[in-house]
Amino acid sequence: MTSSITEILYVGRDPAWAPWAVQYFFLIGLSFASLALSLPGVAFARPAWRGASRMALLGALVCGLAAPVALLSDLAQPGRFMNFYLHPAGSSWMAWGAFFIPFYLGSLLLYAWAALAPDLRAAAAEGGILAPVRRLLGGEARPGLVRALGWLALVAAALVALYTGVEVMVVKARPLWNTALLPFQFAATAFAGAIGLAILFDKLAGDNEPATKALLNRLLAKTLAIVVAIGAIWFAAALALPKSSEAQALAQVANSSVWRLNALWLAAATLVPLVIAAAKPNGSGWLTGVLALNAAWMFRWTIFIGGQDIPKTGAGWYAHPLALGPEGLLGIVGTAGLCLTLFIVLTTLIPWTGRASVATRPAAQIGA
Amino acid sequence: MDRSRRDFLREIGRITAGAPVALAAGAASAATEPAKGAHRWAMVVDVGKCIGCQACTIACIMENNVPEDSFRTFVSTYEVAQAGQVNAYMLPRLCNHCDNPPCVPVCPVGATFKAADGQVLVDADACVGCGYCVQACPYDARFINKETRTADKCTFCSHRVEAGLLPACVETCVGGARIFGDLADANSAVSRILAERRNEIAVLKPEEKTQPNVFYLGLDPRFAGRVDGAPTLWRPTADHE
Repeated sequence: MTSSITEILYVGRDPAWAPWAVQYFFLIGLSFASLALSLPGVAFARPAWRGASRMALLGALVCGLAAPVALLSDLAQPGRFMNFYLHPAGSSWMAWGAFFIPFYLGSLLLYAWAALAPDLRAAAAEGGILAPVRRLLGGEARPGLVRALGWLALVAAALVALYTGVEVMVVKARPLWNTALLPFQFAATAFAGAIGLAILFDKLAGDNEPATKALLNRLLAKTLAIVVAIGAIWFAAALALPKSSEAQALAQVANSSVWRLNALWLAAATLVPLVIAAAKPNGSGWLTGVLALNAAWMFRWTIFIGGQDIPKTGAGWYAHPLALGPEGLLGIVGTAGLCLTLFIVLTTLIPWTGRASVATRPAAQIGA
Repeated sequence: MDRSRRDFLREIGRITAGAPVALAAGAASAATEPAKGAHRWAMVVDVGKCIGCQACTIACIMENNVPEDSFRTFVSTYEVAQAGQVNAYMLPRLCNHCDNPPCVPVCPVGATFKAADGQVLVDADACVGCGYCVQACPYDARFINKETRTADKCTFCSHRVEAGLLPACVETCVGGARIFGDLADANSAVSRILAERRNEIAVLKPEEKTQPNVFYLGLDPRFAGRVDGAPTLWRPTADHE
């Protein structure tokens, strides 16, 4: 017997995780993936990776320093953040994350300092108004220490990648989030975004060498291929396993024109930079970098904001227009402004290229 | 009318309405003060008796100072067309005070907890407002209170229950659709209903295995989970935003 149900009266629920959460997951993802990309050239002195890894280290610092600001801003009671450390609950992945974040940031800063200290000392010798600061921070080359701290930062980055993925994955109430593939999707899109950021930074503050660009674009194409593969596995699971969370999630959104548009946008955001990066690893300029960053951000926006548009008990969708204030658009612009400020400060203080940079020294000397 | 005067009148009304019950229950509770954990509070909602008047919604808002456009409880209302007939279907919703509450383990600071008497409560002084519990609740029963900036939800009116009163929504329900009581007491109304009408009792989203302490009589299975229907979302302040 056919029947139809019309919802006459229901209530809306505002998203508990505002666009700040998107910004946090975007930035921390870019940071831990950039940290991993920095290791071959900076910690292990692989000559082919020198330029790419230094730009990745810059990306890890910019995004890593900005991410906690976005995270604190997403708390309704940011002044109570100390409760994370005074009363941690071991059953919560978020509580573990509160410890992983300072561990990661601390090890990232130590690793970056150890790696860049010789550059700062060399730059201090050239004088200028920043010479006292550079002298203070500068030091001798300690390749062994850089490698050790690089490994430590990698462990911390892996913990951050683990907690950010699992924290969302365990939310059984949201089938879209409750998939074992989500941590891998977060990690893969984070790497794609980090490579895109390195391409962008190389154009803005790096040596802008064709070899570096080709290396990054080839890596981007492979990473985006992995993103596509994980997406295909998600769809296969949704279609083949009717009781799976993937199937439930697909059933929830399949009839929505907005979600169909979202899916198309996500597919285009992944496939277009993949094709360009693979077909033209050199000469694509900023394009693949910007598109890869868009793919990483878009994925998180769809998961977090789109996911919270789906009522858990009611019919239809919650309507969440983007607020213009700090909890919405202003927050997004503000975070971008913070990243830009950090970029300016770090590129002013630290010589990423040029005579004072380790980039001008022979590879053998770096690894010595 | 200014706010303080309105609040004063509201308090007068509250005290007046609750006084006889409070006095009677208070006397009883003072004589036999039960130990913490001696109760297991639960609610039975008889869907067939709900007329969708939203008196419970309003009583809850007034009792608990729930901010505008937020709800600890409400009656979702549907139009069901079937076999040439159109009927209304009302479903009161609130926190299910689960025995296996998904909101508790995710709280990073232990601010959300299962009280000894069965209620799932939030320590508003400890809550950091991270919203993780809001995400974890499968019933959309939680929200971030815009005024206190902490997680908020139904408490079964624990402050009233401790004073020997019924939750505000139960006391105000004109159809007697909400029945509140103690599952630890075999003679309580809720215990008797659960025992005598076992086959008619259902809970929302049983597949989530949350073991709710809000039970429904006459629950249409089409409304036990996410409702598959045409949406007509109504937000009371949407026009003012």
